Amino acid sequence: MAHTQALLSGNGDQRQTLVVVFLRGGADGLSLVPPLEDADYPKLRPRLAVSPKAAVPLDGFFGLHPLLGPLLPAYREGALAVVHATGSEDNTRSHFEAQDFMEHGGLAAGGWLGRFLQHRTGPTRGALAAVAVGRELPECLRGAPSAAVLQSLEDFAMPGSESLLRELEPLYAAERDALGQSARDTLNALRRLEGLRRAPYTPAHGAQYANDAFAQGLMQTARLIKARVGLEAASIDLGGWDSHFTQGTLIEPLMTRLANGLAAFHRDLGREMERTTVVVMTEFGRRVYENASFGTDHGRGSVMFVMGGGVKGGRVLGPWPGLKGESLDGPGDLAVVTNYRNVLAPLLARHGAAHAMDRVFPGFAPTPLDLYG
Amino acid sequence: MNVTRRSFLKWGSGAALLASAGCGEVPPGLLAPWFGEPEEKGPFAPPRADQVDLIAHGLNRLTFGARPGDYERVRALGLTEEEALAEFVEQQLAPERIDDARCERALRRFECLTEPLGELFEYQPGFLLQEMRRATVLRATLTRRQLAEVMVQFWSDHFNVDPSKGDCQWLKAHDDREVIRPHALGRFPALLRASALSPAMLWYLDGRVNRVEHPGDKPNENYARELLELHTLGVRSGYTQTDVMEVARCLTGWTVRSEAAFRKGRVEFNAKRHDDGAKEVLGHRLPAGGGARDLDRVLDLVALHPATARHLATKLCRRFLADTPPQSAVSAVSEAFLQSRGDLRATLRHLFLTPEFRATRGNKFKRPFHFVVSSLRATAARTDAGPALLDYLFRMGHAPFNYPTPDGYPEESLPWLGTLLWRWKFALALSENGIQGTKLQLEPLRRSLTDRAGLVAHFLGRRASSDELASCTRSGNDLGLLLASPAFQRC
Repeated sequence: MAHTQALLSGNGDQRQTLVVVFLRGGADGLSLVPPLEDADYPKLRPRLAVSPKAAVPLDGFFGLHPLLGPLLPAYREGALAVVHATGSEDNTRSHFEAQDFMEHGGLAAGGWLGRFLQHRTGPTRGALAAVAVGRELPECLRGAPSAAVLQSLEDFAMPGSESLLRELEPLYAAERDALGQSARDTLNALRRLEGLRRAPYTPAHGAQYANDAFAQGLMQTARLIKARVGLEAASIDLGGWDSHFTQGTLIEPLMTRLANGLAAFHRDLGREMERTTVVVMTEFGRRVYENASFGTDHGRGSVMFVMGGGVKGGRVLGPWPGLKGESLDGPGDLAVVTNYRNVLAPLLARHGAAHAMDRVFPGFAPTPLDLYG
Repeated sequence: MNVTRRSFLKWGSGAALLASAGCGEVPPGLLAPWFGEPEEKGPFAPPRADQVDLIAHGLNRLTFGARPGDYERVRALGLTEEEALAEFVEQQLAPERIDDARCERALRRFECLTEPLGELFEYQPGFLLQEMRRATVLRATLTRRQLAEVMVQFWSDHFNVDPSKGDCQWLKAHDDREVIRPHALGRFPALLRASALSPAMLWYLDGRVNRVEHPGDKPNENYARELLELHTLGVRSGYTQTDVMEVARCLTGWTVRSEAAFRKGRVEFNAKRHDDGAKEVLGHRLPAGGGARDLDRVLDLVALHPATARHLATKLCRRFLADTPPQSAVSAVSEAFLQSRGDLRATLRHLFLTPEFRATRGNKFKRPFHFVVSSLRATAARTDAGPALLDYLFRMGHAPFNYPTPDGYPEESLPWLGTLLWRWKFALALSENGIQGTKLQLEPLRRSLTDRAGLVAHFLGRRASSDELASCTRSGNDLGLLLASPAFQRC
């Protein structure tokens, strides 16, 4: 087992891991972290506003949606920070454009997470340096030196195929494009996970992951982090936030999944959380006023969460633009005051890319948010 | 038709049985025997060139992969390769003239998919969806109207509807049958209108709740935005947020009956919920009082708009030429679309005639559905397209009717590069007859292709290199190696 451990970890022992959670569909920041003391909030959301009585108070002005209550311990102990009125400068209000822009990190080729992995100090380029938990590679990982897509470690095995793989290797080695690279990553990852997948996994500190795909994905990520396979970045999606219609019924189960998943992950990792940063983002928020079908349309500003990695949490960061008519954006949307790259920049710097910010976010000079106090 | 069985399935007992058996084990006798035995036994002449020739190229792009004998049959359509390809294109552009009785017979048992709209609601949705997925895989595997089926997939992505939303779980079956299939090689304006009034689309993109009934009601913009961004003009083509809001106003009042009562699923226009004021869309003033006609006025403005032509031409060229298609081809196809007023046959004929089409061979990365179906076709495997087979498509993230957002499954290669492991697993399992409900007969397949060199050429669309032949020998499983090889991932 000691041998397996060494083989698996390679030089990745002390790697920090960045976990990117993308809430696809445009999550309503005004429901996740309601501005309870903004007098315009209940006026503009007569049917959908979170009531101050139900909300979990955070700092006297903002609260957490009651279903995000499981995140309160991490917030109280200072491991979780909230950033409000965030987003990108893309104002198409199109899911695909806004996600694309955000994942590319501006109008750049390749994804910001891919460029981070490429340019950070001493990249390992290991087979498991970057993992997309799910079924496909997200755009933000485009251009990563290597990236594996997996749903669980048990998936990553191909028993009885030794001679086949031996013959495939040179055939794919002759492919000079992304297909050849992808085959090399796949073969390497297969070999490194062979030992690991045999050991059963028990979450630490009594952490309990729910049975949904998001929580299970986080558990697989925790497992890889603790096994020290050199994991530097993991991406995991939680989709379905596009709440044009009967918003509550759509997003309430998602909020439960989000909160329980992150809380279990935080608990499971314990002290490992120091070298792990989780960032939660979405492509845009929702329109401030409700539509006639108890939903909200595509908006602009939303909310981000940053957990672990030495962040000085227990705070809601970023200036609040307010919900008065003149401060709203376009057809009536929460303004974007804090560019999402100003949230990512300080944590990417901490993860070894301080010198390469101009390459990670070309054409953008970040004003890093004060995440670390 | 077996009435007992029909009512049995309809009232859900069949579905309950399917569900209770875990991964969808099917009671004996309920499902067809396997489909897909070879029509002829061969031996067939394989491709002979060192590079993919025009015939193999045409089969790669216009079909979901060559079956044994396809190459020889298409090659015989003309004296030269050029003539043969041109004739194959003409045949495929006229699917109504292709005898497809064998495929139709195989699909006859998916009788639930032929039910009238109202009766679809009587099925268990999980059962209906499973049948749709099976029928889609089987049709792609068996039909001789291959290009039509390729275009069905293209439009299913373009006008994507995720059945997991509300009544779409029943209505998508209707959308597939009445919207996508009849128009797949028809005229784009008719397809667009059918989609705009498809009950599934009205559900999926919230058109059914887009209404202005009381003062202060705000329209639901969901469909309006995707109509402009995805279905017609394309993003960044010049329309504004105001255009989106104005289009949404034009479409207020259209809805789908969803009460459990009479005529559930029917699309209707409710004038009381329509915003009947004047609107301005893309710089055109639409006077007040248009009522239900506002919908056609909007569609008329966008269906044959030059930006729509460009957007569709780009997508078609991405599908048939390359991830980043040459602009010269996009312009030519866009022009053909406008000249023919959105006639998809004329547009595609033009596309296949471009020099760029001939020049971009073997450069496309098959999407997982294409990979799986081309494997079944190349090996002449018999399959029931049941849960064990579908599971591979789920694992690779490309099961039919399973994409959540309205942009449809991506066409370009990058998002699919992470699927190699599952492709290799599928290749190994298929070659070892390890997929329940799917079976290939190795010896007849080998005999039909004469020898190993013929087998390899059939899979690769060209003669094998000496390295490839040697690898096949050493691997001890030439079929598995061919299916998993880089060359077979491309088309």
